Amino acid sequence: MKVVQVRCPNCSQPIYSKIKDIVFFCENCKVLHIRGGETKVIDYEIADFNKTITAEKKYMPFWRVWCNFTINESRVSGGTFRKMAQFMRGGGNSGSLFVFVPASEMDVATFKQLAMDLTMSPPRYSTRLDFGGLQRLPTKITNGEAENVSDFVFVTIQADKPGILQDLDYDLVCQEARMVYLPFVVTESGPRPAW
Amino acid sequence: MSISVGLNCPACGGAIQVADGEQVVNCEYCGSMLYLEGDGGVNTIAFKMKVDRGAARAVSEEWFRKDWKARDLRKEAKVLEIYPIYLPFWSIKMRVIGWICGYDERTYSDSKGHTRTERIPKEEMVLNDYQYSEIACDPGDLGIKRLRNFLGESEFEDFGNIPTYEATTSKDEAMKRIGEEALNDARGEAHVQHVTFERVHVLPRALSMIYYPIWVVRYGYREKMYIYTVDGVSGEIISGRAPGDPLFQSLAITAGTTIGGLIAAGSLYLMAASETMDPTITLIGLAAGAIITFGAYMFFRHGSEIIEGDFTDKKYGLGGLDEMGVVSDLLKGRIDLGGRI
Amino acid sequence: MATFNCPKCGAPVEFDVKDRLVRCRYCSSEIFIDKSGAGFYYVLPFAIDETTIIGTFRRWAGGSTKAKDLDKYAHIVSVKKSFFPVYLFKRDVDGSEQVFVEPAASTTLPGLHSLKVPGGDMVVYDKNFDAKGVDMVKPDIDMASYLDKLPGRAKEQALVYFPIYVLDYAFAEKNWRTVISATSGEVFSGDFPRRSSSAYMMVAIVGFLAFLTEGFLAAVDPLLALALIGITVLVVFGASYFVARRM
Repeated sequence: MKVVQVRCPNCSQPIYSKIKDIVFFCENCKVLHIRGGETKVIDYEIADFNKTITAEKKYMPFWRVWCNFTINESRVSGGTFRKMAQFMRGGGNSGSLFVFVPASEMDVATFKQLAMDLTMSPPRYSTRLDFGGLQRLPTKITNGEAENVSDFVFVTIQADKPGILQDLDYDLVCQEARMVYLPFVVTESGPRPAW
Repeated sequence: MSISVGLNCPACGGAIQVADGEQVVNCEYCGSMLYLEGDGGVNTIAFKMKVDRGAARAVSEEWFRKDWKARDLRKEAKVLEIYPIYLPFWSIKMRVIGWICGYDERTYSDSKGHTRTERIPKEEMVLNDYQYSEIACDPGDLGIKRLRNFLGESEFEDFGNIPTYEATTSKDEAMKRIGEEALNDARGEAHVQHVTFERVHVLPRALSMIYYPIWVVRYGYREKMYIYTVDGVSGEIISGRAPGDPLFQSLAITAGTTIGGLIAAGSLYLMAASETMDPTITLIGLAAGAIITFGAYMFFRHGSEIIEGDFTDKKYGLGGLDEMGVVSDLLKGRIDLGGRI
Repeated sequence: MATFNCPKCGAPVEFDVKDRLVRCRYCSSEIFIDKSGAGFYYVLPFAIDETTIIGTFRRWAGGSTKAKDLDKYAHIVSVKKSFFPVYLFKRDVDGSEQVFVEPAASTTLPGLHSLKVPGGDMVVYDKNFDAKGVDMVKPDIDMASYLDKLPGRAKEQALVYFPIYVLDYAFAEKNWRTVISATSGEVFSGDFPRRSSSAYMMVAIVGFLAFLTEGFLAAVDPLLALALIGITVLVVFGASYFVARRM
C-alpha cells in the first residue's frame, strides 16, 4: 500500500478538498480526473444552475454515454412494430443516443427514473466552469458500470414500446463516457431539476 | 525485507490515520488530500454483543420443546459449556437491473377432454437492490453460513475479549458467488417460465466485513454432545443439533404412507371412474402421494437427529432436499434419487 | 501476542493475524503490515477438550447413516491430539483476490484430503505460543515449491496449524479411525461402519402400497377398507417404531 498526495495530473497542483470521492476536481486548471486502477483525466460539463431557485441546490454527477446501436431483429407480441422514437438520431433500425447514468448513490427507483427521464428528454443547459460553491455528490458508479446501465436503459426504451417484447437482437457500442454535473434541489419526493 | 510500513503524509510528513476500506483521507495536519494506492482493505464493523450468557442458555427451554425433538430432552439435557465468538461475514449489496422476456404456458382442458395450451407473453423489468452475506471462514460444525440480520450497534469494545474467527476466504470470490445468487434471485422474482430474451446486469454497490457475535452452547444428552448457536444481537437460535425421537419418526412414516397412499388411490380411482378425465390430474395425484410418502420416509430414516441451520448433513425436510440438490435437479427436470437416500 | 518493531520509533508493536493496519502505542504512527513478502506461521489453538470430543464422537456415531448402536458399542481405543499443517495463500490474480489452500504434509489420516483451513481464532505462531506438549506435524512440502506455481501476485502466505483429535475405535471386530476438528467439533470422517436403509425403505414402500390398495378397495366396500386401513395403521406404526429403535 502506498500513500500519495492527490495532485492534478494536468497542472500538478495539489488538490484540497473534504469530499471523499473517486473523482477529483482541480480548482486551479479546472481539470477533472478519476482514480482507482489508473489515474485518468475525464471530460466533463457542469450545467449552470437556475439562480431564481432559492432552495438549496446540489450537483449530482451523471455519466453521459454516447451509444451507437443496431437492432438486427426485434420480436414483439401483441403489438405492432413502430418506427423508432424521434429522439434517436438516424431513425430506422440503427442510430445513436446519449444515455444518462446517475453516478451518485441513490435508491433504485430514483436511479431508474432519472436515467430514463434524462435519456428520453436530454437536458438543455448552459455550462459553467466551476461548481459555484455548490455541494457536489460523490461518484459511486464507475464508467465501466455506466456501460452496463446504458445497455439497461437501451433495452428499457425498446420494452416500453407497445407490445410485449419477446426477443431483441442488437448491438450496442458505448463510446467514451463524459461526466455531466447537473444541479438538483433535493426534495422529499426526490431530486428536482434546478437548471 | 520489512513487513511494516509507516504511513505518513507525503506532503508534510505527519502521521496519518486510516480506517480499513478507506481510499481517500485528509491529512489532519496540513489538510492535504491523500489517496491510498493498492489494496484498500474492506470497511469493517463489529456488532455489539447484546445477549448475555444467561439468555443464551434460557433460549434452549423453548427450542428443546419444538420440532419433534426427543421428548425427554428438556429433562435430560445438561448445558456444559457456553462461550461467545465473533464470526466474520462478507456483507455485499448488489443492484440488479435488466430485462427478462419470454412467456408462460397455461394448459386448460374442457369437459370433453380437449386440452388447449395458451401462451402468455411477458416482459419483466428486473430492478432491485439486494443485500447478501456469506461467512468469510470455514464454519466447521457451527451450522452458520449467512447472516439473518444486518442491523446492530457497531462497536469494537468487546472485540478484544471475545475470540474472533479469522477471515480466510477471498472477498472477490465471495462477490462472484453472491453476484450469481443475486442474478438467480432476480430471475426467480421475474417469474418467466420460458425465457426468450435476457439482459441482466449486476452492479456491486458496497462490500463490508461484519464481525457478528454468536453464543456457542454445548450440551450433553445421554453421553452425547450436541451444540446450538445463538444470535448475539437478536437472541434467537441460529443453528443447532438435537436428538430426535423414534416415536416421532414412526408417527411420520405412518401418517405419510396413509395420506400418500390414499391420495394416490384416490387419483387412480378418479381415472377409472370417469373416462373423460384428464390423465394429467391422475399423474399429479400419484406424484403428490409419492412425494408425501418420500418426505415422510426421509424424516423416518434420518429424523434420529433434529438439525436446524446450515449443516451439510441435514437430509430431511425442504432444507434436506435442497442440500441433496434434489430441488435444483427437479427444477432442471432431472430426477435421480438413487444413491442419495 | 506477536510483535514487530515500529519503523518510526522502534518500539514493539503488537499485532494480530487479522490486522492490516496497526497503530504504534508510543509514537501513534499508523503502520501498514505488508504481508506479501514474508511467510507467516499461524496456529489455531485447541478450543474443545477431550471429554467434549468423545461426546461429539458419540453424537456423530449415533447419526442416521452410521451403523446401529455404533454410538453405544464403539470402543474407543485411543484419542490423540495434534496440530496439522496446511498452507494458505492469498494471491492477486488480475486484480481479484483468490485464496488457495495447499497441503503442507502428506498424511494417511482420514478426511484430511479435502483441504481447508477450519475457522477459528488464529494467532501468530511464535516463541510465545505454548503447544502444551501437543505434537506438531512437520510440514514435508516446502512453501516455496507452491509460490512459483501459483498464479498472480503474492498478497499473503502462511503455514496454518489447526488442532485435531485423532480417534481410534473398534466396532464389530474391526478398527476404525476418525479425525475431529478441535475448533468446531466437525468430524472429518473417512470411512465408517454404515447402516443399511433397506428396512426403512421396506416399511415405507409396503405401507404406501397397502394404503393404495385399501384406498382402491374403499370404492367397493368402504367398511371393510376402513377396518383394513385401521389395522394397517397399527401395523405400520409398530413396524416403523421397531425399525427406528432397533435397525
